Amino acid sequence: MSVPAFTGSNVVDVDAAKIRGAGSNVHFDKVSVAYGTHVVLHPLTLDIAPGEILAMIGPSGSGKTTALRAVAGFVKPASGRIRIGATDVTDLPPYERGLGMVVQNYALFPHMRVEDNVAFGLRAQGADKALIGERVKDSLATVGMSGFAGRYPRELSGGQQQRVAIARALAVRPRVLLLDEPLSALDAQIRRNMVEEIAKLHRDLPGLTILYVTHDQTEALTLADKIAIMRDGRVSSHGATGELYRRPPNRFTAEFLGRANLLPVTVAEAAAGPKGMATAKLGDAVLAGAGRSEKPGDRTLLCIRPQHLSLTGDEEHTNRIVGTLKEVHWQGELTHLVLDVDGTPVRVSATRLPVSLPERGSAMPLFFTPGDTSLVPEDVRG
Amino acid sequence: MLVWSRPGRMLIWLVFALVFGVLFLAPLAVILLSSLANQWNGVLPSGLTFEHYTDVARGAAWNAVKASLITGFLASTLALVSGTWAALALRVQGATLAKVLGLLFFIPSAVPSVSVGLGLLVAFSHPPLLLNGTIAIVMVAHFVLISAFTFGNVSAGLARLSPDFEQVASSLGARPAYRLWHVTLPLLAPYLVAAFGLSFALSMGELGATVMVYPPGWVTLPVSIFSLTDRGDVFAGAALTMILVAATLSLLLGLERLTGRQTR
Amino acid sequence: MADAVALPAPMTRRVPGRLWIVPPTALLALLFFYPLALIARQAFFDDSGVANVAEFARVLHARFFLNALMNTITISVAATAGCLIVGLVLGLILAFVPFPGSGVIARLIDTFIALPTFLVTLAFTFLYGSAGMLNAGLMEMFSLHAPPVDFLYSTWGVILAEVTVYSPFVLRPLLAAFSLIDRGQIEAASVLGARPFRIVRQVILPAAVPALIAGGSLCLLLTVNEFGIVLFIGAKGVITLPLLIYSKAIQESAYQVACIIAVVNIVLSLGLFGLYRLAAGRLGV
Repeated sequence: MSVPAFTGSNVVDVDAAKIRGAGSNVHFDKVSVAYGTHVVLHPLTLDIAPGEILAMIGPSGSGKTTALRAVAGFVKPASGRIRIGATDVTDLPPYERGLGMVVQNYALFPHMRVEDNVAFGLRAQGADKALIGERVKDSLATVGMSGFAGRYPRELSGGQQQRVAIARALAVRPRVLLLDEPLSALDAQIRRNMVEEIAKLHRDLPGLTILYVTHDQTEALTLADKIAIMRDGRVSSHGATGELYRRPPNRFTAEFLGRANLLPVTVAEAAAGPKGMATAKLGDAVLAGAGRSEKPGDRTLLCIRPQHLSLTGDEEHTNRIVGTLKEVHWQGELTHLVLDVDGTPVRVSATRLPVSLPERGSAMPLFFTPGDTSLVPEDVRG
Repeated sequence: MLVWSRPGRMLIWLVFALVFGVLFLAPLAVILLSSLANQWNGVLPSGLTFEHYTDVARGAAWNAVKASLITGFLASTLALVSGTWAALALRVQGATLAKVLGLLFFIPSAVPSVSVGLGLLVAFSHPPLLLNGTIAIVMVAHFVLISAFTFGNVSAGLARLSPDFEQVASSLGARPAYRLWHVTLPLLAPYLVAAFGLSFALSMGELGATVMVYPPGWVTLPVSIFSLTDRGDVFAGAALTMILVAATLSLLLGLERLTGRQTR
Repeated sequence: MADAVALPAPMTRRVPGRLWIVPPTALLALLFFYPLALIARQAFFDDSGVANVAEFARVLHARFFLNALMNTITISVAATAGCLIVGLVLGLILAFVPFPGSGVIARLIDTFIALPTFLVTLAFTFLYGSAGMLNAGLMEMFSLHAPPVDFLYSTWGVILAEVTVYSPFVLRPLLAAFSLIDRGQIEAASVLGARPFRIVRQVILPAAVPALIAGGSLCLLLTVNEFGIVLFIGAKGVITLPLLIYSKAIQESAYQVACIIAVVNIVLSLGLFGLYRLAAGRLGV
């Protein structure tokens, strides 16, 4: 479905009762950004489907924020084009792109009340008073801040301010919603609640395309349909969240999305197809896991997550390795064990220990299923 | 927290009171006293009177008060507009131009005010730009000297403004003019008010350039104070000085209450 | 938050955005730089347009000029030194040995910046002048016939007045720098047994040095340009460059000489201004 080019009047046309608008796709076409000779974003080609949440995660300096700001129009690409829907927005100023943006420090206008903050975009685009009134009410209701319309931002807590900021962005019915580390300034407890609220928002507004930038992989894993992991200005991996988690395409992704144990192994049998199982040898043990395109004899990494390692075997947990118990840490919800397997430290996270533990320094078997195992290529640093 | 013993602290505070009192309080108190003095031959004045102040209500002194206030308000308003305009316009320039121009805008505050007056005399004494001998030349002199300070104040305020506000406003669809009026300027308001207050104070106390260019009909308070004290009429001079101080301080205080109420 | 600092992308790609700087710049050029250029022209060229460096050199060697230059520099340096000392002492006390109301006092000192410079001089006349309070008091107390204290109508009077007026310019950045010092450092030093003077020397002063340099260079600039104080002191031997410009131009109508002196004064001031910007830049202000 092609979305008509955005003009100010679009804001006025859409039915106020329906918050479900037509979201657009976002397309990066070889977009690069450089400051002088320093390249911050290498040519990026990426597509965000309409209604999708893409989480862009990565460490500081990875280029994720730069990519978001390029979509917003605050950073001029050195090369490449950016399309929102059918419109090439690369040369358009930010106020003509039909977006909504939420930033880490909320940026609520302190001299305006909540309702005026939310109404700001509509007023700036010349919408009429009746529409503004309805939209403000709707947007505040969507984020659960209906009773706060007359307050000033300084009277609100961090979480409340961020919700108002989201309402403000939604009020203009953006084609794409940009969230730039929106929860980083909030306390851990409030952050957990807000993640769930944003997830609910996405469910209530299935048409809204969202680009979510964060350095927190928990937020990404909870919220995103797809994840793009950025590293040093490039995309390290890009794919559906579950797929990226279960079968990480490289070491960086495996370690960035949750914790991973990576054991150096030699491939014994190659996988039958792209979704098939391969086997690899770690010392004497033969282990099965999801393979990619490895050939027998290749040296690669076997990835198994700490919470998938079990201390007892059964017919499903056919993979077995033996390690020396080094440390035990009890952490309330979880108990962590650290073992040494042929020189590689392996972490086990369990909510409950089914058997009594042997002494430190003694050997222990660990069991896991091939379904939780995948082979991961070592990073090629270039 | 540096000195823990009570006698030690007492001593330090005594030193402070002495330095502060002698340097800062005494002058102000003395001026106040002399403005009320009838005659002053000994250590303290021999009588107190308000006649110096009542004399002000009529005659040349009142004209001086008027001239200073009008010049102050006009020059400060114009300097505020000009300084703010320059500070805002400088942001969208390239880095080198912004640095160079930024420096140039500060230079009027770096040169002696007398030379600013001299320059205006030399430049505008002939037609077609004949300002010498008019009130306008005094306004121009004050304007030039003050705009550097308003520019500095507003630039500092702009630098402290988080770019998030303007960027979010832009992303919501606000064009530059709308954004300037509804977001940037309101956020700058405290700095604008402070800049106006400072400008007004500077204008009220300006002497160096004014004394070079003022026409006979437009004598400001500082010039008037100087001529009074120069010919020995010190008590009248003191009275006018107190009026100057009172006008300046009351405006500053008034402006402070204004911003205080806004940002509460 | 941001993992890359963005260069300011032009908020509008239309040309007018960059042109907004033209009006204020044109105004500045017309009302300030053009007159300044004319001053330079009048200093170096005589009325018929012929370059006259000889006149320039003559004035530079004249005794009245060298006298004024010497006065300007000595007064400026001495006053700056005084400002640094007074500013440091008051700043240390206000920041580290606070008393109730020290905040108000600090703000009060700040307000003095808004007051005209000649106010202090006028007050000093009443305090330290030959008919002033100090002299009258001493004469009464010790039955003297002539006023014993006579420093006011000399360079010392100017210096004292300038110290009073310009100390706040050292005090302000100093208090700002002091407020950034981690109190934990001082407490740790105290616990480790350091006496106050040692703490000041080794913990506080190093943090204060950039502010002192910035404030000091600002004082140098402001005292070199000071006019009102010198005018009000009105002492015969105490003539500084700005006062000389005034007397040459207004009292003697010797405009070319005034311009020549102005050129020297402006060059000196701009040099000090450059020094101040460098120092303030290091301060990270």
